[in-house]
Amino acid sequence: MLRDSVGAIELRDVRRLFRTTTGTLRRHAKEIVALDGLSLEVGEGELFGILGPNGAGKTTTIKVLTTLLIPTSGTASVLGLDVVRDAKEVRRKIGFVFGGERGLYYRLSGRDNLRYFAELYAVPPREIPPRVEELLELVGLRDRGDERVEGYSRGMKQRLHLARTLLHRPRVLFLDEPTIGLDPIGARELRRIVSQLHEGGATIVLTTHYLFEADELCDRIAVIDKGRVVALGTPDDLKANVSDLSVVELEVFGIDASTVERLRALEFVDSVVVEQRELRQVLRIQTRIAERAVAPLIAAVAAGQVGRVAVREATLEDAYVRLVGRVE
Amino acid sequence: MTAALRLARQSAWVNFQEVAVNGFLLFAVVWQPLFVGVTTMYMLRHRADFDPMYVVVGTALSGIWSTLLFAGSGAISHERWTGTLELLAASPASFFVVIGGKLAGTTIFSLGSLVLAFGIGTVLFGYPVKIAEPGWLAVSLLLAVVALWATGMFFAPLAILWRTVGRFLLVLEYPVFALSGFLFPVLLLPNWIVPITNLLPPYWAAVAMHGAASGDLDLSGLLRAWFFLLLTGGVLLVIASRLFVEVLTRARRAGTLALS
Ligand SMILES: Nc1ncnc2c1ncn2[C@@H]1O[C@H](COP(=O)(O)OP(=O)(O)O)[C@@H](O)[C@H]1O
Ligand SMILES: [Mg+2]
Repeated sequence: MLRDSVGAIELRDVRRLFRTTTGTLRRHAKEIVALDGLSLEVGEGELFGILGPNGAGKTTTIKVLTTLLIPTSGTASVLGLDVVRDAKEVRRKIGFVFGGERGLYYRLSGRDNLRYFAELYAVPPREIPPRVEELLELVGLRDRGDERVEGYSRGMKQRLHLARTLLHRPRVLFLDEPTIGLDPIGARELRRIVSQLHEGGATIVLTTHYLFEADELCDRIAVIDKGRVVALGTPDDLKANVSDLSVVELEVFGIDASTVERLRALEFVDSVVVEQRELRQVLRIQTRIAERAVAPLIAAVAAGQVGRVAVREATLEDAYVRLVGRVE
Repeated sequence: MTAALRLARQSAWVNFQEVAVNGFLLFAVVWQPLFVGVTTMYMLRHRADFDPMYVVVGTALSGIWSTLLFAGSGAISHERWTGTLELLAASPASFFVVIGGKLAGTTIFSLGSLVLAFGIGTVLFGYPVKIAEPGWLAVSLLLAVVALWATGMFFAPLAILWRTVGRFLLVLEYPVFALSGFLFPVLLLPNWIVPITNLLPPYWAAVAMHGAASGDLDLSGLLRAWFFLLLTGGVLLVIASRLFVEVLTRARRAGTLALS
């Protein structure tokens, strides 16, 4: 029987444990549950975001899907191919970029890096030179292509990674925190290329912990925490989750932990996030009663400590805070 | 097949640029043979049966052996270090071909030991070059290098599994050197060890190269040594190709491909 939409990517009940040891003399084996029965489905041509705090299992998910980790249990497939049984076939069809600067041959030029990866992906020899030039052009490295990678900036390396993974024209792309550590302009440039690839019809899975990035780019988002999906939907779906909430932002000076606890205990307060900004802090307080919360909140903080006050509608970030209970 | 050779060649070239300037390789190819060659010359030169070519060939073999023992695992450790090991593992390319190419590239490097060993004998100590069968020595050298490359390929996959395998290989360097008769005849060792040495390509490499250099082996003796050189090397290579697949699967299960 034919199904009307075949998922480009499917994860079913995937668990992945890691065994680590601690201690030198008395060794204790410890088991970490990185993925705890994760299930997801991504449609063909979709730009799908995986959002979650550090340690949530984003990278582990990507590594399972790129055949680098074998699930402890459960199954995962890409384009209908099982990532364990048909690993080799999967590898031919996917591309991936892991965030960070590693994963390039530093003593080689950008161009030579691309040529070598083209060989690894069995791009026909005659097609390699034009393909390399085309991709250097796409990521804006054509002029710097003959320089050794060790002299590249972070953004350049990251763009080279993207070019590297497009050599064999993969239909599915996995991008694990591709903008991590980039300056705002570099990050924006990278997002522009990702959008362009998405418009070209590629299925893309992107992990990030920048909310605006997921909001701006993704068709759908899965929020994961502790190896499980805690929310799934379009950015608007997720925002709808917090449509009943407003956020009061209080600028305060030298507030202590006990005061924050006192605020959290208030009956009309949903959550409080403290953001440190040099000498002051900004408290972001989620509440259902909007403006009416302002006076009691100010009263709860010692007089003279409060600076600016603002009330605004909840954003995707607030939805995330509500789901995960913290921000990075 | 041609695609595999092409990939092997490119891998050798990449490896060459990445690790050619690496201090360890320089140590294995230059300093170690220099030390071994000079000390052995001093120790043996007053003996009645002293043959400088024996020391030259033995020194070259020890240099080639050390280089090939460490180059395969070294290449893999380097990939882990640069973060490219995961990229290789997630590519459709054969790991065996990639690492095989890298190690083969280093093999050419390792022949520097041979040149150096001759230099020690002729320039430093002033002995004339006296090779009984230069043509057969060339054939022996070629086969020896292929078989030692196969031995290196046998140890390389262990580096995928264990991050610190280099240190353990260190333990193997000297025993094989001693057991294979690079510089001292195996007959000096206890009898029970001889059958073990016969399983190792380095032993047959030493037999063939010493035999051709000194003229002590006739053609049938050489053919026998070449045959066993290829046989033992071939067996190790077949085991190695299985080991690569097995070890990669295990690393994907254990999560040890990344440096973390
Ligand atoms: N190779 C590994 N060995 C041991 N533990 C690991 C390994 N990889 C990931 N983990 C652990 O698994 C959990 C999930 O990690 P990860 O998938 O990297 O999270 P994220 O990418 O969302 O930050 C973390 O607790 C992490 O420490
Ligand atoms: Mg991660």
